[in-house]
Amino acid sequence: MADFSTCQVFELPNLIQIKTDLIRANKECSRRKLLNSAKWAAELSSAVDASVDYQQILLLQEPKDYYDEYDKFALASSYFDLKEYDRAVYFLQECSSSNNYFLYLYGRYLADEKRKVDNASDSIGPPDHLENEHLKTLKIELSKKYIMKELDGFCLYLYGIVLKKLDLLKEALEMLVEAVNYEPLHWGAWLELAVLIPDKETLLSLSLPNHWMKNLFLGHMYLELQLNEEALKIYQGLVDGGFSKSTYIVSQMAVVYHNMREIDMSVTAFAELQELDPYRLENMDTYSNLLYIKEMRADLAHLAHRCCDIDKYRVETCCVIEKPLLFIKIKTSKAVMYFQRALKLNPHYLSAWTLMGHEFMELKNTSAALQAYRQAIEVNRRDYRAWYGLGQTYEILKMYHYCLYYYRQAQQLRPNDSRMVVALGESYEKLERLQEAKKCFRKAHSIGDVEGMAIIKLAKLHERLSEETHAAAAYTEYVNEANRQGIFNPEDLSQAYKYLANFNFAQGQLDEAYAAAQKCTEFQETREEAKVIQYRTLEWMTVVGL
Amino acid sequence: MAGDEVKIETSEKQPPPCNYNLPKLRERVKQYIDKHHYDSALFWADKIVSLSNGNVDDIYWYAQTLYLTGQYHRASRLLRNKKLDKTNTSCRHLAALCHYECKEWQEALNILDLVENNNMRQLTQSFNESHFDLVMKETEHSINLLRGKIYEAMDNRNLAVECYREALRQDVYCFEAFDLLVNHHMLTAQEERELMDSLPLSSQCPEDEIELVRFLYENRLKKYNKPKDFKLPDSLNILKDNMDVIVNLSERHYYNCDFRECFKITSMVLQKDPYNSQCLPLHIAVLVELKKTKELFYLAHKLVDLYPNKPVSWFAVGCYYLLIEKSEPARRYLCKATTLDRVYGPAWLAFGHSFASDNEHDQAMAAYFTASQLMKGCHLPILYIGLEYGLTNNAKLAERFFSQALSIAPEDPFVLHEMGVIAFQNQDYLAAERYFKEALQKVQCVGEQVLVEKWEPLLNNLGHTCRKLQKYEESLEYHRRAQIISPQCPSTFSAIGYCYVLMGNNMMAVDYFHKALGIRRDDTFSTTMLTNVMEALMSEMAPNDDDDIPEFTIPGKLEISQTGSEKEILEESELADSSSMAIEEVDMDNSD
Repeated sequence: MADFSTCQVFELPNLIQIKTDLIRANKECSRRKLLNSAKWAAELSSAVDASVDYQQILLLQEPKDYYDEYDKFALASSYFDLKEYDRAVYFLQECSSSNNYFLYLYGRYLADEKRKVDNASDSIGPPDHLENEHLKTLKIELSKKYIMKELDGFCLYLYGIVLKKLDLLKEALEMLVEAVNYEPLHWGAWLELAVLIPDKETLLSLSLPNHWMKNLFLGHMYLELQLNEEALKIYQGLVDGGFSKSTYIVSQMAVVYHNMREIDMSVTAFAELQELDPYRLENMDTYSNLLYIKEMRADLAHLAHRCCDIDKYRVETCCVIEKPLLFIKIKTSKAVMYFQRALKLNPHYLSAWTLMGHEFMELKNTSAALQAYRQAIEVNRRDYRAWYGLGQTYEILKMYHYCLYYYRQAQQLRPNDSRMVVALGESYEKLERLQEAKKCFRKAHSIGDVEGMAIIKLAKLHERLSEETHAAAAYTEYVNEANRQGIFNPEDLSQAYKYLANFNFAQGQLDEAYAAAQKCTEFQETREEAKVIQYRTLEWMTVVGL
Repeated sequence: MAGDEVKIETSEKQPPPCNYNLPKLRERVKQYIDKHHYDSALFWADKIVSLSNGNVDDIYWYAQTLYLTGQYHRASRLLRNKKLDKTNTSCRHLAALCHYECKEWQEALNILDLVENNNMRQLTQSFNESHFDLVMKETEHSINLLRGKIYEAMDNRNLAVECYREALRQDVYCFEAFDLLVNHHMLTAQEERELMDSLPLSSQCPEDEIELVRFLYENRLKKYNKPKDFKLPDSLNILKDNMDVIVNLSERHYYNCDFRECFKITSMVLQKDPYNSQCLPLHIAVLVELKKTKELFYLAHKLVDLYPNKPVSWFAVGCYYLLIEKSEPARRYLCKATTLDRVYGPAWLAFGHSFASDNEHDQAMAAYFTASQLMKGCHLPILYIGLEYGLTNNAKLAERFFSQALSIAPEDPFVLHEMGVIAFQNQDYLAAERYFKEALQKVQCVGEQVLVEKWEPLLNNLGHTCRKLQKYEESLEYHRRAQIISPQCPSTFSAIGYCYVLMGNNMMAVDYFHKALGIRRDDTFSTTMLTNVMEALMSEMAPNDDDDIPEFTIPGKLEISQTGSEKEILEESELADSSSMAIEEVDMDNSD
């Protein structure tokens, strides 16, 4: 694509350089208790095959002030590991080294988050009143330091997340861009940044560092933006560049295939992933979804049991367990229970919110469903399923304008998914805005209709508007398609034939009319009418003299 | 105070007519007084009077010990029997003080006033000229101070102000007079300035102390009339750890609305000095601002246990109840605070607030009126009265009070803000904009950094005003700034949404109304707006991004296969479907 010229894949530096970078990143992050980033860096580093002089790395100079306050650091970091954040913060007060200062702020942030999660009520939905006093205090402190330019890359990252939590998304975006420029090896900052980028225009307008990490970020970003081909290209490039053993890259590729509906490729990739890292739980929910679609029940059950054995209380596990439940049709309320558990464990886990919304829809609990979907959008605005779910819910509530809005959002996120477009068309139809509805159905048909509903709906619309030729054309298209694929709804098909018979009869194309009527007789509902048409056609034929 | 003055006198006295070592005994009495053994002092002072055969000085000290043991009437009687209250200024002061202690204001005043008629010349002759001047001067300011206190107790505030001012001019070191003037809000900011300028610092202080005294006093002056920064002159850097200076710094933060910073400092001060009387009211206020109920509860309990006779203890209790929205007990305790000290302004204001929060406007106003009479130099009660009038839809009166407040504190952004609100309500948007901008400017001149949260309404109101003036871009800008200083405020979100509606950007508007409703679900404005905007948006929006999809115009060729085979396919597929259903009992429709 032409407009991605600025985001092209970068030349990777040699593997030794990469590995050294990763080891350093792991050290830096784990010293700051940024555990997930540290884990990510270690995973990637262990997958890179390069001989690195460890002596050299381990002798890397620690900053001088790090040892000045080593006692406090050691104490605080043990408290941190035991999740006693407030205690750690207390002992880190008035520390001056950048590492300790970051820990001090991060501890305050985590303590507040932990309190919030612990105090949250069991019911879903946003808390009754926003209690963000701590975050605001943190924000004020950070903003003062920021003005004085005393924040390092990690503190900037923290400032970014605080701003994001306070809904100041524009400012948060700026801060995180700055953070990745300072500290390009900190994967967490890239991830947070990714959540804040709504579209590719924004992505292109950012000034990101020309670091090899940018490749990984772009891959992640394209995947998030559903630009699957681009993502695949980048990941392929990385695999070729020496990351072929990385579980992260493999799983990302699997997700790309999943999004591209290349189900078999995806399943293979996931299977490979399980070989590489049998105890990995990340992305297993996607895998379970694939197995579900492919109806590989035994595998699904196996996966569910395994996940359960590995860690029962992981959000991914909760989502994996839920899939077999769908098969055996256990009451969905039990599934909801699992989701609630998942969300209690991690309120920012996107899929759980969306899936819970679906479950509530099943249970006909629309207000709860709305809540769940809204939360999902709060977590990630790019989740088209949640937007679509919101649309469906409002459709049930008969609020078609809202419903239109949400379907439109979903459709913008997935421009090539016919389901959204059909849903849009149906909403327009309900609002009696038939011209728009027709446009939608046409569009849906043109981008490859998954459910095969668009064309028949279009035909019916034309019929309703008595645009006979159009209607006939659409019906013909439908019939042809149905015959080619062999899947159809008998009622629709019979209607189509009946219309075509009548139409052709009126047009004087008696042969076609006869053939269509002949088809009609195969269906119970239209048989009698069809016979009448046939009879009249034959009559006319004789009159005309054929 | 008086002791030092008299000491000089004693050195001039004649040797006693008896052979006891009276100077030694006198010394002993003073030592006892220093050590607070008042009863011993009293016993020996009494004996010295007899031994020295009624020396004036000894009588004075005897009266002093009586005063210290709380026998006010006895002391006064002693001095007056000997007519000393008419001849000796120190004794006159002491006698009046005794009556003052007993709350016999008129009596005390009478004693002080008697001198005025007396012929001073007569007395002057009996003393060495220069020495008398010195003594006179030293006692004069004490007398003026006492007179001021008496006047104030008698509710004659104007005279009291005059007396205090006089006392301060006579002795610039007389902090008490200064403190009473400032702490009881007797002067407006302008008058305070004038007073500072008129102090004869250069004639009374040594060269190097002028700056010190000026700084310390100016540091105490009114702080709430306008936001300002606090700076310690370099030459006085040595004072930076003085509690008083630190408390003043935190007070500055408080009035600049930087409550968190203020809280940090006051907590630190109270840790070192748990019952710092100057810091306590400030700490209480900041606890209320930050809604720290638990801390306030504990503090109030401790204070009431330790100092049940101090108004600040009951003020703390009252504030606690005010904070947890129980106005009934709040009023009771605030009332108690005001009875302990009638001129305790903060308690009166809080008393007013307790009514205001219950929407009892008349009673609130009555309390504020009392406060405004007690604190002549303070514009806050008047501002609150204006607010109450505004709430009762009496814009005219409200405006009058606001302008009155403005005349006392012309630079207070709060008052300017309220003026702006009134102008806005009167639909005089240009004036409103002017007021708001002026207030904003005042706020911004403080602090090199970001605005504090407290000013979120100001920025939002500016936004509303600009919107009314159809300056949408500017309005958006102000709302954005409000959002930055106080994030996640639903009304800001809906205001931004409304702006976008007026700018015709319905897409963004929908987004912001959603955000507003996400935080506060029962917001009728946002709900109605959202529904309307949504309809408008959907009617104007194209169903697809690209609309060049060909229409089906001409019916294509119908591909009709052989009848029989088709039927078979149909049956087959049906069969297949049903079989799979039977085996696996899955409803595939649920998959999505």
